[in-house]
Amino acid sequence: MKTFEEKWTAWLDDELAGAELAAFELSLPDRAAAEAEKASTRKLRLLLKRELSPSVMTNEEFFNHQVRERIAGDEASTSTRGARSTWWTVPRLLWSGAVSVVVFVLCAVWVMQDSEPLEPSPSLTQVLNAKLDPTVGPDATMTMFEAKEDRVTVLWTEGLKSLPSDYAAK
Amino acid sequence: MHTEATAAQPDVSELDLVKRCQKGDSGAFDELVTRYRTRVFGMVYNMVHNEQDAWDLAQDSFLKAWKSIGRFRGKSSFYTWLYRIVMNVTIDWVRKKQIKGTGAEFDDAIQLREIDPASKTVPKPDALPSENMERGEIRGQIDRAIAQLSPEHRAVILMKEIEDMQYNEIAEALGCSIGTVMSRLFYARKKLQNLLKDVYENI
Repeated sequence: MKTFEEKWTAWLDDELAGAELAAFELSLPDRAAAEAEKASTRKLRLLLKRELSPSVMTNEEFFNHQVRERIAGDEASTSTRGARSTWWTVPRLLWSGAVSVVVFVLCAVWVMQDSEPLEPSPSLTQVLNAKLDPTVGPDATMTMFEAKEDRVTVLWTEGLKSLPSDYAAK
Repeated sequence: MHTEATAAQPDVSELDLVKRCQKGDSGAFDELVTRYRTRVFGMVYNMVHNEQDAWDLAQDSFLKAWKSIGRFRGKSSFYTWLYRIVMNVTIDWVRKKQIKGTGAEFDDAIQLREIDPASKTVPKPDALPSENMERGEIRGQIDRAIAQLSPEHRAVILMKEIEDMQYNEIAEALGCSIGTVMSRLFYARKKLQNLLKDVYENI
């Protein structure tokens, strides 16, 4: 079902025919006004055609030249992109795979070496104990060091005003 | 539909040229460009009212046509197919320009500056200066009136009134229904009649 606008446009362009044309023309409330409108549309068409019809380009060869250049440039860039994309797929994949394997092996070797137990340092002294009776000296500290290699144990005290008798070596 | 093909050129059918293009023959495409460049340029110029923009957009359209000619199946004429590309490129451009809000799309200053009388792509005037001035004023009024239409209405009125295209061809070129084409034509004509009545009633 055509709208009024569609029928009107078709009527102005003489595109209605037969029963459709007759029915539309009968439905027009003011035939004279409609005919005037049709004549007005025809004048508009003539004006537009006269003023806007394309003229011949005099620099048309330059236009073609530019189009050819743009096509050539576009194809060149497309082929470059294509070549680059090939390089970025296969060789890069191989290279990145190989580098990944090498890095993994190096890391594995380093971790395995690192996990071996270290030899204890012969000069290492170890803190074994640090305690003191608070009634003897509340601010005093006592630290005991032991160097296994030398088979020596050292008691290091600080803050003692006097050594209690039961601490004396017997 | 007239083309620029002349008697000096071999009468190669459009379909042959298209088939050659689809095989990568840029020479065949060059011939298609030659056939349609003036009409495409003229159409775009009437849409954008600027010679340089029209030149660029016409070239963009041909470049796009070359890139996608492999998809042309011959269901419509090559020209209708080409027009669809031209209209897409041009309407997109007009919309973007409107969104950017670069001021008046068309005004007297732009019109006088950009349509260079010595330009190679507009006809060189042969008439008297007073006649040229009058024609220039009329052209200016028409351009301003068309600039007030939406890009879709512009396209419809130009394809119908200047290119004499059928409703179905316009619908195909714009990717819409025939009813939409007729409706747009109705409103575009109404608006132009209001804006240009004084012009066409007095000539």
